[in-house]
Amino acid sequence: MRALKIAGLAMNGLRRSPLRVTLTTLGVTFACGALVTMVALAIGIQRQVETPFRALAMLNNIQVRPKEGKDADKAPPLDDAALANIEKLPGVAAAYPDVHIKGIKVRYEKKEAIAIGIALPREASLLGVADEFIVAGRLFDEGNRPEAILGLSVVKELGFKTPAEAVGKQIALEAAGLTPDGGDKFTYQQTTMALTVIGVYEAPALLPGAARQGILLPVELMKDIPGIHLDSALSRLKSGGPIVTSGYASATVRVRDPAMLHEVQVKLTAMGFSTEAMLNKLQHMRQFFLAIQMLLSVVGSVALIIAALGIVNTLLMAVMERYQEIGLCKAIGASDGDLFILFLTEAGIIGCLGGLTGLGLGWLVSQLMELVAGFYARGQGITGRLNLFAFPLWMVAVTVAFAILVSIVAGIYPALRAARVDPIRALRSH
Amino acid sequence: MESSDCFIETRGLSRQYRVGPAEIHALVEVDFHVQKGEFVAILGVSGSGKSTLLHLLGGLDTPDCGCVRVGDRDLAGMTSMERTIYRRTVVGFIFQSYYLVGSLTATENVALALTFQGVFGAERTRLAAESIERVGLGLRASHRPNQLSGGEQQRVAIARAIVHRPALLLADEPTGNLDRATAAEVMGLIHQVHRDLGTTVVMVTHDEEMAARVADRVLRIRDGRLEGAGGSA
Ligand SMILES: Nc1ncnc2c1ncn2[C@@H]1O[C@H](COP(=O)(O)OP(=O)(O)O)[C@@H](O)[C@H]1O
Ligand SMILES: [Mg+2]
Repeated sequence: MRALKIAGLAMNGLRRSPLRVTLTTLGVTFACGALVTMVALAIGIQRQVETPFRALAMLNNIQVRPKEGKDADKAPPLDDAALANIEKLPGVAAAYPDVHIKGIKVRYEKKEAIAIGIALPREASLLGVADEFIVAGRLFDEGNRPEAILGLSVVKELGFKTPAEAVGKQIALEAAGLTPDGGDKFTYQQTTMALTVIGVYEAPALLPGAARQGILLPVELMKDIPGIHLDSALSRLKSGGPIVTSGYASATVRVRDPAMLHEVQVKLTAMGFSTEAMLNKLQHMRQFFLAIQMLLSVVGSVALIIAALGIVNTLLMAVMERYQEIGLCKAIGASDGDLFILFLTEAGIIGCLGGLTGLGLGWLVSQLMELVAGFYARGQGITGRLNLFAFPLWMVAVTVAFAILVSIVAGIYPALRAARVDPIRALRSH
Repeated sequence: MESSDCFIETRGLSRQYRVGPAEIHALVEVDFHVQKGEFVAILGVSGSGKSTLLHLLGGLDTPDCGCVRVGDRDLAGMTSMERTIYRRTVVGFIFQSYYLVGSLTATENVALALTFQGVFGAERTRLAAESIERVGLGLRASHRPNQLSGGEQQRVAIARAIVHRPALLLADEPTGNLDRATAAEVMGLIHQVHRDLGTTVVMVTHDEEMAARVADRVLRIRDGRLEGAGGSA
């Protein structure tokens, strides 16, 4: 109670030299502003990068590839039979090939677009994932109708004014590619399909334009696209093993529960595949971002420490200027501790004001940078808000707390000087 | 005199300062008694040790030897914190140069003392206003020191010194910065406080005539030695 009331006197002390206190506070403001902007950027970008992981529930996924390197020729192929076997493993929800085929022609009436074919398992809709990327229509459901989901850029190229307009329309797909037919021969094949557009997706803002250029097909339709076995066959040929005509270069295995990840991974390895859990990838990324955040925090903290030197200076001057007043206060009953608290509070107030205004400044700067980056991004065909910066509540709180803490530490020496003022000397000084 | 009314008692009180090789005897073997409710004036030229004595009586300083008792307290044996609490509760100080805080109004200057004395809120406001009223500055309560004359500033300082009703008021040349007429007014105010509140007053001055007019007893100090009667009047 007493300490609180003594602390209440601090504002009066600070009002005495408004310009000096303002300048000192500005030092803290800029330091905190820089700190906040940098850390917010690191957190913001991390979130952007992690969005697909979360939104696509990728953390239950294991990426499976055929073994490469030394014994690649003896490794089992990653084909439909292997995927069927994998699906039978306990804990596995689904196993499907990861296929990206470039140069797929999509036609609607007179208009044409070139898209990237991507396989999407029909189960995706059951998992309730990826919903947030669908801007019109829906995901695939069970069944085997010839359906497709188009990227926003493809929809625009095909001449639709809005995503919703494309939903339900019939499009034609035309794909051509090389299919391995055993030995070292490949056959050129062409396929056309008639598909119904059931949905339109938008990619996260940070992803490049190509991410909106896709045509998502159910896995079973994708298997009819020529060229999906080409990569696997080529790498098999290069390693000198027997040619496999129906292998995939990569597949995704979904486990029911992240707790099963390790167990399934061990079994897949035993089957002769190389595996990597997405969770693992995410953790590596997190470590990277943590390192970046630490680095930026250290840089920002250096600025804050320099600002703290300003606080030391300002308060030492205040102690000198108020030398007689401090002596008087002691004569009328202030204890050494009272004066210590008083000056420490003045430091804390500077830190608090600086921290809060620094947050404001950081936010303002980040908005400006967001604007500039958004302007630039539109030039690169990226639309929508980038959300490069994130201001989670914990960061706001930690920043202000840190500014106050550093300032209070800076106030310790001046406060000790005030506490140690000899009242007799102070009152004799004229 | 060892009467039961004896409020202040010093015995062999000495204070010296060492400046390089020289030793300055600011106070030498002072034996001194003040009765409860007495108004004692101490006369002496500059450098004779008047302030040193007041600082010892007020618990701002500690003696090199000898003892000083106020009420039933032995000041020489107190810890620093005990002396702080003694100043906070028993003593009121008035100085030659007022020592008001320039950024605070008259009432706020008085309230500042109350804050250190642990009085807060409405009680503090009431007591501060009452004290300002008592020294006749009711209309000047919200003025800052630079809007007040020297005499008025010293009145504020007096209000601050008596706001917690101290048993002992120590005044160090309270009229030293004032012209004669104003000095007489301020002296009158101190006398009035002494009379109305029954406060024991020890006042240091070099104005002999003024001292004789208001004090119950006048003592002289020269080169750190108290002259004349060490006892009561
Ligand atoms: N801190 C100090 N160091 C050295 N000498 C001091 C100190 N304080 C006071 N003195 C000396 O002690 C003597 C008494 O001082 P003081 O009590 O202030 O006298 P007065 O108040 O009567 O003018 C003076 O000679 C003064 O110079
Ligand atoms: Mg003096």
